[in-house]
Amino acid sequence: MSDAADNAWQQICSASDINDGELKRFEAGQFAVVVARVGDEFRVIPPFCPHMAEPLHESGICRSGTLTCSKHLWQWNLLTGQEQGPAERPLMFYESDVRDGEVWARVDQELVYEFGEEDDDDFEW
Amino acid sequence: MPARNSKQWEKVPGKLSSGEYVDSRIYSDRDIFEEEITKIFSKVWMPVCHESELPDPYSFRTMTVAREPVLVVRGADNQIRAFLNVCPHRGNMLENRPSGSFEEASPSGAPKHITCMFHAWQFDMKGNCAHISRAAEGYQDRLECKDVGLRRLRCEVKYGGFVWVTLNDGIGETVEEWAGGAFDCMQKSLDAEPLEVFHYHKAIIPCNYKLWHDTNSEFYHDFLHYHNRVTGFNDSYFARKNIGFDNGHVNVGSFEVQYDEYEGFESREELSFPHLPTNHWEMIDFFPGVNFNLRGSALRCDIMTPLGPDKVMIEFRGLGLKRDTPEERLTRQRHHNSIWGPFGRNLHEDLLAVTTQQATMSEWADKRRILHGRHELDADGDPTIHDEEGMRHFYDAWGQWMDRWPGDPDLSYEEGQKRKAA
Repeated sequence: MSDAADNAWQQICSASDINDGELKRFEAGQFAVVVARVGDEFRVIPPFCPHMAEPLHESGICRSGTLTCSKHLWQWNLLTGQEQGPAERPLMFYESDVRDGEVWARVDQELVYEFGEEDDDDFEW
Repeated sequence: MPARNSKQWEKVPGKLSSGEYVDSRIYSDRDIFEEEITKIFSKVWMPVCHESELPDPYSFRTMTVAREPVLVVRGADNQIRAFLNVCPHRGNMLENRPSGSFEEASPSGAPKHITCMFHAWQFDMKGNCAHISRAAEGYQDRLECKDVGLRRLRCEVKYGGFVWVTLNDGIGETVEEWAGGAFDCMQKSLDAEPLEVFHYHKAIIPCNYKLWHDTNSEFYHDFLHYHNRVTGFNDSYFARKNIGFDNGHVNVGSFEVQYDEYEGFESREELSFPHLPTNHWEMIDFFPGVNFNLRGSALRCDIMTPLGPDKVMIEFRGLGLKRDTPEERLTRQRHHNSIWGPFGRNLHEDLLAVTTQQATMSEWADKRRILHGRHELDADGDPTIHDEEGMRHFYDAWGQWMDRWPGDPDLSYEEGQKRKAA
């Protein structure tokens, strides 16, 4: 639970801004987050798919608590973040809370998925 | 002199010797054209664009080299790399747009990736395959990303930021070695600070690419440019030298243009390229089909893409300094366009001449001799710009690459040389 003096916590949106099964992108200070709703539960996640950085507010589909990225069909249990189907990495969550109908999240540090690119320094002609 | 009958017409005129003319079939024959693509254009370095056309990481540009589709991209590491624009899966063209950015996601792909729209295979800016759709389901362990990277091409950024590509992995020379000193005349000016393309247009001209190169290599056609001839020329204009370099490249020597004698023109002094003497003009005819033309305040680069024996696409680029203020840029553009723009002083006249040349050299036309036998030397014995040494130098390199004698393409280069010696 947040401390009102802890400015790492920010109000992201109102609970009523998001319908069940919806994903929406918001600016949270220095970076963006995506807020997802499953019933009365909310999750605040980085705005990129852990697979290849697809923008999840556009490519993500949320049905019955399962998030699917429509680009390559990686899937997660949206409440736990656990991977399903072909997904190979879990979702990351920002710590979040709903207070008085407002969605708050702890966004002091950006959560970033690492996307490695192979080196080609030793490329041989 | 009387007109000639058919037998007289076939003879070498006057006392010109072998090596001072070419056979018109080299401008019209389809087999020779095909050979030029495989023996020359697919073997050499060609500039394909300028780095300022790839301004940011993930910027790309597409083109063809020797009719192969090529994709040039700027990576996250700012390095520019070139690949065949071909998907390793089913051979689809990966990118159809002439230019753009891979920064944003395409409809079927991820951001910062090249995505084949056919089956959504994806590649990064280094040509690594990053994603095969349903790979394990279809290929089990028989094919993985590591097996299907893009076909990378040798690529260098050189001489004022031009992006050079070759299809020839086995090429033994760097761009600098291939240039053989031909850029010495302007390299200091080009490399002093970053340049930027401010003008681009392309035209498909109904002529053989070599006719365009010829016209850039001989200035005897001053007689075509009436308005230039009656104004602006002085003795130093005609005293310029034609200098040949290895691999068929040619320089046309510098001189100071008297812009105040050109009606409606102004000095380029204030916006001279770095290290370029005021109002000077340097020119490189680069083998097999590129022209660099640095004239006071503006650089022009023509890149030729041969499309057929009687068809060539020419891309015209004008460049200034990247740091130009908007006012300076406008002035440079005006200077550039007043000479080389579609309504400029020279370009349309040159294009008209090569078009009417080609009109007499169709595939079905009788073969004839096209002369380049002028030897007009200065007091030191060096060829001046009304000498046709530039063309002779080009065709000697052409003959060696093609293993054909330009004056009679039925002969090998060696046979032609023997005949010349005899």
